[in-house]
Parts: sequence; C-alpha cells; structure tokens
Amino acid sequence: MTPASAGDIELHDLRDQQFLDEVHSFQFWFDSVEGYLTDRPYGRDADVAVPVLEPELADRLVTTLCNYCLGETAALDGASSLVHDAPTRNAKIFLATQVADEARHLEVFRYRLGELGIADPEAEIERRGNQALVEFRGELLDMIAAGDWPAAVFAQNVVLETLEYTVFRFHADNADEVTRQMLRGVVADERRHSGFGENHLGRWLATEPSGRQRLQAVRQRLDPLVAAIFSGALDDIGFAPADRPPLARDYVEAIDRLGLTA
Amino acid sequence: MSDFLSQYSIQRWLEACPQGYLDGTVYGYLPGQSEPEELLADEGMREQAISTTVQLVAGERAALAASSGLVNCAPDDASKLFLATQTLDEARHVEIFCQRLYDLGVKKEDLESTVARYANPNLVKFAEVLLAKVAAGDFIAGVVGQNIVLEGMAFSVFEMMEAGARQLNPKFAHTLTGTIADERRHVGFGENRIGSLIKQHPEKREEIEKMQEEMAYYMLAAFNDVFSNSPPPAAPSDAPEAEWHGVNLTAATPAQMEELLATTVIGEFKTRLNRIGLEYRQPKVPA
Repeated sequence: MTPASAGDIELHDLRDQQFLDEVHSFQFWFDSVEGYLTDRPYGRDADVAVPVLEPELADRLVTTLCNYCLGETAALDGASSLVHDAPTRNAKIFLATQVADEARHLEVFRYRLGELGIADPEAEIERRGNQALVEFRGELLDMIAAGDWPAAVFAQNVVLETLEYTVFRFHADNADEVTRQMLRGVVADERRHSGFGENHLGRWLATEPSGRQRLQAVRQRLDPLVAAIFSGALDDIGFAPADRPPLARDYVEAIDRLGLTA
Repeated sequence: MSDFLSQYSIQRWLEACPQGYLDGTVYGYLPGQSEPEELLADEGMREQAISTTVQLVAGERAALAASSGLVNCAPDDASKLFLATQTLDEARHVEIFCQRLYDLGVKKEDLESTVARYANPNLVKFAEVLLAKVAAGDFIAGVVGQNIVLEGMAFSVFEMMEAGARQLNPKFAHTLTGTIADERRHVGFGENRIGSLIKQHPEKREEIEKMQEEMAYYMLAAFNDVFSNSPPPAAPSDAPEAEWHGVNLTAATPAQMEELLATTVIGEFKTRLNRIGLEYRQPKVPA
C-alpha cells in the first residue's frame, strides 16, 4: 500500500534503524495483514461452507477453542500492558499492532464457538480452561507489573507466541476447513510476533551480560507450564500419547536461537 | 449491551478502516500529496506547523498509553476488543503525525527533542490526569477521561484544523479526515459503554466529574497558550475562506479562534457527559 513498504523493498538491505522503523510500523502491519484479512470475514473465505461435525469432535473443538481464547486473552492483556513499558516508539507501535492482532484472534475463535452452539463463551472458557494457561497468564502479568520488560517480552513474544504458533499450525493440518483457514491466518500473525520477540531480545542479550542467566531462570519457571499446555492441547485435539507429534521442537529451537538452553 | 458492542468489533473495524476510508492512503494521505511549497519555504510558517503537529503527537501518545492500558482492566471481552482497535488507531495517529514532522523537515534523530521542545506543558498535565486513572486500573474514569474528554477535544480540534487546511493543505486535511473518523468511533464507544456503568456505580460520579474539571482546566490553559501567548501567523490575504461553525477561520483573530474552539469543545462535553449521566463541571478560568 505504501511505496516504502513490504512489497517494494528488500527489507534486509536496510540499515539497522531503518529496518526497525519499517518492520515495526503501522504501515508495515497494514501491508502484511492485508492479504489474509481483506474480504475474509471472521478469518475465512466468505463462501466457505460451515461443516457439521460429529458431536464428540464438536465437543473436543469447543474445548480446544476455549483454551485458544484463554491463550489469546493472555496475549491481549500482555501485549496491551507492554505498550506502556516499551523502550522505543517503534516497539510501542509494533505492540499496538499486536494488540489488534490478538483481539482479532480472540474474536474469530469466539465466533467459531458461536457457530458450534456456545451461547455464553465466557462461562464456557471458564469451565473448560486449562489451569496451566491461567497460571501462565498470571506469571506474565506479574512480570509486567514488576516492570521486568525483557522477562515479559520473553514470556509473551517468544514462549507464548511460539507455543501458539506450533499448536495452531499442527491443528490447522488436522482441522475442518473453516477452522483450518482461521488458524492459518492466526499463524501468520504469531510468526510476526515471535520475530519481534526474538529480534528484540537478541539485541538486548548482546549488550546485557547477565541477561542470558535472567531469561534462563524465567524459562525454567515457565517450562512446566509450557509442557502442561502442550499436553492439554494435544488431549483436546484428540491425540493418544503414542501418536503425539514432537510439538516442543519449535519451542526448543526458539530457545536455542536465543542461546537460552540450560 | 452486547448488541451495541457488536458494532465495535474487529470485523467492523476492518471493514470500516483498513478496507474502508484508509484504503489507498500512505501515512493517512493520498499518494502524491505533499506539504505546500509555501509552507516549507517560510521558516515561520514551518515552525508553527511543527509546533502544532507536536501537540497532536503529544495528545496521541497519551491516547495510545491510555487505550492500551485500559484493555487489561476492561470488564468484558467485547470492550477489550474495541479498545484493542482503538490502541491500533492511536498508534497509527502517533505514526502519521510523526511522519508529518519528518515531512516538515524534522530529522528522525531529532524527533524526541522536538517533541520535548514544543509540547505544551498544560497538554502534558492534561494527559497526566488521565494516565493516573489508567495506571490505577480505574476503567470507568479512564474511559470517560479518554473517550469522552480527550477524544472529544481531539475531535473538535481536528475538525477545526481540517476546515482550515482543506484548501491550503489538502495533504494535511486528508490525514485529519481519517483521524476524525476514528475519533468519532471512539467517542461513540465511550458514550454507549460508560452510561450503563455509571448507572451501576453512582458513587464514582464525584471523582469522575472532578477529573473532568481538572482535565478541562488544563485543556483551556493549553488553548490559551496556543492561541494567545504564541498566536499562529495571520493567513495570507489571498487565502481562501475556511468556515467552521459559522466562523471564517481565515479572518478570525487568535482570540476569536480560541473562544470558538473552547465554546465548541465545552458544548460537546456538556452534551456527551449528559448522555452518560454526568454533569459538566466548569473549571476556574486559567490565568
């Protein structure tokens, strides 16, 4: 949409600050999301037929979507609270785009719950929510309240986003057509969010000698919750323990890229 | 409540903004539009435009901090979703007004020092009153301060500036048109969502009206600074007429413009506060 934006320039040819100015801008977000949001009401093609699912499958999907809503609410509360503490204007603007993305995800998942016959999503989310996700949200908001920006960005944009990216991508390959389309759009956003987290923390770790140790401690605190969230997600989608894919691989790779492997 | 809130969904926002009035724009204006050459060539006019734009950046930064801060204390998902769209709107406003500063010749590395140099201290205090409520997690006071008082003020200021710029600076006028459309939506949410909450929490009235009085004081003091203490240069004698609320802005004196803006904004405050069950409190006249 803008001459100096996504389609017309080679991002990696830009100087460091120019690169950040570009990729963290509203304009860049605008161009990035245009392709998969334009004319896609509630995250799917306008003409896609809503499938009728077997009752057991529908019930599993409701539980899965309730937990996705819980995760997206944590991400929405986290990203919006992080805007205030963001150290640069670029980071503030990027996080504002992330706030809108997370809200959009919450909206499309709630809409899908409505299609599956859930009249009161908030009560259903409360009833079916995975306790590990509730605890993760609490940990994240505590880090934000304590003003620990690197820990909060790590928990939000690396751990939570990688977790969601991995589960959604896997689920999309195994879902009905409407859910699949919806999840593919969400995955595109999560990739952008985790990219911000890794890029931002990578720069911070390069200048902060004690940073790695601090984030490793956060990682160790969050690991049991991450394992419980992965396990709960696979239970909800309907995978027997023996057939489970190695979902934790993406998570471990993201941790490795930041050099945080214990 | 849920019916009205469905009008403020992300889906509606996508259809109205990115796929609606912002479609085809670049930083809020049309490709090919630029600041007028006369403005860029006249140092006095250029500095005045920078100073004016800095006030917009300062106001929008406060709005970004407030709307993002309110998401986490919103009592329901629908309000969270709307405030998420507002967060992005405000971030866009910060970006487009910063872009205008660059277009006016401010270097990127000088952005913060330029904002610090020109930001009106009374506007800063106006924002601090609001942000104290947001920091305390006070959703009702925060939304009244943000979506009724701050947005109500911005709405009228932008309308007046858009009327003045329509002929002289179509690029800036176009930028303002998009922000006015956003502000209208924000004010609408504030009026619709908060009325019921004020009814449920009548004990909050006194505190919120006091906040409004304090914010109105700093707003009027900022208007006074802008129009009377450092008045904008007179429009060129051949400038086209620009009318707003029945007044010819090209011929009006700074004092008349201040009076017009203050009267309009306060009139709007009274109407909107009334709709949500609050009384407008007139602050002391700033010295």
